[in-house]
Amino acid sequence: MFPLKPTFKSYLLPVQTDLKKTPQPPIKKLEAKLLPGEIVVNEVSFVRKCIGADSSHGDLWGKLICTNFKVSFITHDALPKQRFQVANRLLGEHDVPLACVEQVVTVNDAKGKQKVLCSNQKLKFNPTELILYCKDFRIIRFRFDEAGPQSAKKVCLAIAHYSHPADPQLLFGFEYVGKQNYGSLGERVNGVDPGGGLQMPLFDRPSEWDREIKRTGAAEWRVCSINEGYVVSSSLPEYFVVPVSLADQDLKQYLCFFTAHRIPLWCWNHPNGSALVRMASISDPLQQRKLDQRICSAITKSHPQRSDVLKSDLDKNLPNIQDIQAAFVKVRQICVIEPFEESEEKWLSSMESSRWLEYVRSFLKHSAEVVYLLEGKHVSVILQEEEDRDLSCVVSSLVQLMLDPHFRSLTGFQSLVQKEWVMAGHRFLDRCNHLKKNNKEESPLFQLFLDCVWQIINQYPAAFEFTETYLTVLSDSMWIPVFSTFLFNCSQQRTENSMDFAKSKCIPLGEEKALRFPPVWDWSQQFTSKDQALFNNPMYVGKGATCVQNGTVKSFRRTKKNYSSTLRGMPSSLRNILMDGHDSLTLTRRNSLVPWLKPDFSQIREVVESPTERFFRDWVSRPADLQGMLIPQLLPSHLALWRLYFLRWVPEASIPKGGSVTAYHKLSQLADEVEMLQSQLRQYKGATPASTPTSNPSTPSSDHSRMYFKAVSTHEPSSTPEYLSSSFPFSPVGNMCRRSILGTPLSKFLNGAKIWLSTETLANEAL
Amino acid sequence: MELFLTAHYPIVHVFCNSVDSTSTSRSDRSTHAAKTPYAMSSDNVSTSTEFSPELRVGTWLFTYTKDVTYICPYIGALRGTLTVTNYRLFFRCMDREPAFVLDLPLGVVSRVEKIGGASSRGEVSYGLVCKDIRNLRFAHKQMEDSLRKSIFEILMKFAFPVSNGLPTFAFEYGQVYPENGWKVYDAQVEYKRQGLPNESWRITKVNDHYEVCDTYPSNLVVPVNIPDEELKRVAAFRAKGRIPVLSWIHPESQATVTRCSQPMVGVNGKRSKDDEKYLQAIMDANAQSHKLFIFDARPSVNAAANKMKGGGYESEDAYQNAELVFLDIHNIHVMRESLRKLKEVVYPNIEESHWLSNLESTHWLEHIKLILAGALRIADKVESGKTSVVVHCSDGWDRTAQLTSLAMLMLDGHYRTIRGFQVLLEKEWLSFGHRFQLRIGHGDKNHTDADRSPVFLQFIDCVWQITRQFPAAFEFNEYFLVTILDHMYSCLFGTFMCNSEQQRVKEELPKKTVSLWAYINSQLEEFTNPLYVNYSNHVLFPVVSMRHLELWVGYYIRWNPRMRPQEPVHQRYKELLAKRAELQKRVEELQRDVTNRSASSSERAGSPTRSITPVQTFV
Repeated sequence: MFPLKPTFKSYLLPVQTDLKKTPQPPIKKLEAKLLPGEIVVNEVSFVRKCIGADSSHGDLWGKLICTNFKVSFITHDALPKQRFQVANRLLGEHDVPLACVEQVVTVNDAKGKQKVLCSNQKLKFNPTELILYCKDFRIIRFRFDEAGPQSAKKVCLAIAHYSHPADPQLLFGFEYVGKQNYGSLGERVNGVDPGGGLQMPLFDRPSEWDREIKRTGAAEWRVCSINEGYVVSSSLPEYFVVPVSLADQDLKQYLCFFTAHRIPLWCWNHPNGSALVRMASISDPLQQRKLDQRICSAITKSHPQRSDVLKSDLDKNLPNIQDIQAAFVKVRQICVIEPFEESEEKWLSSMESSRWLEYVRSFLKHSAEVVYLLEGKHVSVILQEEEDRDLSCVVSSLVQLMLDPHFRSLTGFQSLVQKEWVMAGHRFLDRCNHLKKNNKEESPLFQLFLDCVWQIINQYPAAFEFTETYLTVLSDSMWIPVFSTFLFNCSQQRTENSMDFAKSKCIPLGEEKALRFPPVWDWSQQFTSKDQALFNNPMYVGKGATCVQNGTVKSFRRTKKNYSSTLRGMPSSLRNILMDGHDSLTLTRRNSLVPWLKPDFSQIREVVESPTERFFRDWVSRPADLQGMLIPQLLPSHLALWRLYFLRWVPEASIPKGGSVTAYHKLSQLADEVEMLQSQLRQYKGATPASTPTSNPSTPSSDHSRMYFKAVSTHEPSSTPEYLSSSFPFSPVGNMCRRSILGTPLSKFLNGAKIWLSTETLANEAL
Repeated sequence: MELFLTAHYPIVHVFCNSVDSTSTSRSDRSTHAAKTPYAMSSDNVSTSTEFSPELRVGTWLFTYTKDVTYICPYIGALRGTLTVTNYRLFFRCMDREPAFVLDLPLGVVSRVEKIGGASSRGEVSYGLVCKDIRNLRFAHKQMEDSLRKSIFEILMKFAFPVSNGLPTFAFEYGQVYPENGWKVYDAQVEYKRQGLPNESWRITKVNDHYEVCDTYPSNLVVPVNIPDEELKRVAAFRAKGRIPVLSWIHPESQATVTRCSQPMVGVNGKRSKDDEKYLQAIMDANAQSHKLFIFDARPSVNAAANKMKGGGYESEDAYQNAELVFLDIHNIHVMRESLRKLKEVVYPNIEESHWLSNLESTHWLEHIKLILAGALRIADKVESGKTSVVVHCSDGWDRTAQLTSLAMLMLDGHYRTIRGFQVLLEKEWLSFGHRFQLRIGHGDKNHTDADRSPVFLQFIDCVWQITRQFPAAFEFNEYFLVTILDHMYSCLFGTFMCNSEQQRVKEELPKKTVSLWAYINSQLEEFTNPLYVNYSNHVLFPVVSMRHLELWVGYYIRWNPRMRPQEPVHQRYKELLAKRAELQKRVEELQRDVTNRSASSSERAGSPTRSITPVQTFV
């Protein structure tokens, strides 16, 4: 595949020579900061972490430690020209969780050798360099020029071994939660009560489903508990919602005909009564017709207008999980692996050939079509997928985001992910490939979903309570293996593994069914409340954001007056297309809708302008109500690369003192000022005439501010802080080091080997 | 004067544009009309039937035709009425509610063509190819053949007045605005702002009557120690006499951006002692650096090819201490072709499956990138290297204007204000002779003219790209940029008429036409970016990478009804500003109340009388 001859010579500069003059072995003792349950496996001193792009200038000296949780680098040195980077409570500045390590590459540049290390492997050379390719796209390099060769080798092997655990219970979360919550005496020590303080439903109890039924007005739907104790299906949640007309007996009877016993699950109800339902395929073809009819008629009965039910076959209409994984690998290759300058010329066509944006678009488009059916056609929709655990999660969440503004709030969004991903049994463990058992199971479905959400945020920046930073941090949290959210394939697996683990470690579970893994939604696990303010969108037009006393300030809802549809920001003379949906064309085409109203609506694309497209165009021509339905623009020209996520570590792509964060900065300051004034008003209102407010109302506690950037005095010009960049709140410094593999024979070697794809090939040929 | 006159069957209406006739006061008129510089309310068309003597901005109505079909590429055929005046084409479909309206200044039309003859359905049609990335198609019944002819002829006449020996509409437009936009730029004032003249640079009057260089402005800034006589000798060695003159000087380092045309080196490698001395003088004027960078905008191959035509580039042998850099920006013909391809890709519809590779194949963004990269290198040399630069291409009025103006936009925050940007355009583009008349082809029917090229559009696109990377660094918004482009084609204002300052003076444009800046400055609110932060000494270094460059969909794809402009962040910011003002008022009121109450009840200390302006620590 690539010419690797025994005579392979390194063209790398002998960096160690000039460094020998100034190795600065630290005097103070360097020790890893450990979490409960975390132990040091191996460590090596006098390691150099590469920082600079072109020289060793600015590199850091310290100790490299492998624990059962992370790769930790401890140093007394400070990063040069440090840019802002958000701090994580579970991780040090230079730490990488083992679960985040995608690939471990060891290099001996004197011998011209390199090897991709996997679990339980041997290494026949002493590495001079270790490169960690991370799942969050970071590339981190360490050099061992001054380190003990054997210790260095041991640490590399340990990292490779521990980042590929064989059993879920070897994931750090178990030790962590076991130690943290139950201590050695079997009593809970000061752990955060997972979920306890959260103001959001986790959908693991019937009352929460009941509340959701009430919230959406789904009167003809009920909570079903036939799966309590996971007796009928291991992947379904214990409680879910079904049509009232289907009795438990019926359901039990139908169960066995569905793949993995996954019977239809209610997702959401439109205010017009149409329901969104998801289900697995029917495994028995003989039963197909009969069962389809029964399910459909039950759903129809639950519709106030007895509307039809349409079925959307996701497997037929959308890329599969392997396609998505392949696209993701390619887009990662383009964004962070390929040399920056060389990939410029063909950037657009490379992006296209990765197909990532195409897939993002196809999910958005399919979801928008379902939105049309629910909203425009008033029919109920069943999302059908073979197992109902992957594509349905994306589509059903997107549909709900587009239709229900509740899910665009922070807690609403989290409850949506909880409902449609965690409880519905998305195989996070397999899709994240935490155990690195089966590469075929790995697929970034959740990342794809987050990208779709980002596209909508990008188009409607005031419609969501949260920011793209929130989405990025949420994605990164997948690689910190302590959260119940991302550790398991389904709730049943969590319970089972918890019990096993508790038994083996003699941890009394008491009345609990499982170890109390914190959900990722407990953000205080990771971030200070100040840093959590980075999640808040200052532009958010929520229900709560509109209120000012006595209605003197009007709601921020768009009205025709202040936002004139497509024409804002265009000369009035250019108002070219003012149209109304109910034109003669619609009427003449009405007839052609009839054959289209079949259970499967995949044929609609045959129409020149389909009713769906007309529906979208019509919606676009009117002012957007951010508290109403939101349909993303689906022209390929309107989908963009999520730069913060994909390019945040790439130093060449970082805009110093620029990027959308500079607008965010200004908006936050203003929003903070508005909040402060509101709080002052409240204090004045609260003060009775008799009691003059003693607490000074001009300085309300800044702790309660939702905004990360606080208001400054209006007398000073507000300037953009030096540390802002388009990567904010992340920083490429120390997180992306591609120096020695760029523009050298080694780079060609690694590129040719497609290091993200074929680890085995490379590993076999390296020695 | 936009006049409504008609001489043609079937309906003959002569009437006044009531936008104007209904105005009562002068100020009313300017605001009202200002909002609709070329849109008249559709009601006026259908209801006004009488000629009004009070004709101010009036228009001649040449045809007013019912039952015309506009074949919309997005929603199909629409039937309505078509009105053509000497300024605009106006189509309205009344069957729809709200009405469908198409309103197009004739200046935008690049070409009118009859499509086919009589079709089987007895309809005739003709198409308009527009300069703003649109094509329009109309059709009507064959029996109105005489009418079709007339519409066609009238379009041919008034879309291309210059070809027909008529003045462009800018000379008819008599709108009065509060400000005289022609006074926005005063070269002396601008040079004074830059601290010129100073001990190294002087303002020469040698070109006062455009005798040294007829495409240059009358005010030129040159090194102090080069007398006018020598300037003339230098002019003889530079193409079209466009000698190196100062465009911008760094307020601290004194490094300068100078611009010129190519040296007339020719195949034999001719040299000019005067020119060499002159460039040395430019270098010497900056004590900080002992080097001079010459940025030749062209690809080196093109620069070499120019030697065959007597031109060429500075050899480093002849110019001591000078380093020559080629910036690889292609010529006007390549750019025109690129835009043609882009139009194919974006209008009317976007092919869904190969959008990015289709976009790539137009090379439009690649050209944008090269121009930005060149400007960035210039700005970096001047700012970080403290080195003076000389910029030229062949004639120094296309690529050179792009490069110097973009570099100045990066270097000098003043040009990022609305008025500063107007000054930048007036200076680097208009006064230095970017040939707008030729590049746009105002009123000229010769649509295949090889002199046409979207050079200025590219520049505005580059500006937009920088605003995307620095959303708080510009006082103006996207609408401002779109408006400039729209009115560059519309021929409503005199700003972009003619090819040089000399021609503008000769044509008495400031006297006879209205400046676009008069219109824009009469409603600044519309064009203001509320997020603007004025950091005075902040140099912008955009990241010039395909990873950040985007197609400007708000311009190139705006005709597509499936596109909604970005939900404006600006709008939201303005709402928040309004809310803050409201809240501040209420807090102040309450504060007064509380103060009064506490003052009347007791003389207690600590009542909240201090400023409510929140002063907080910065994160």
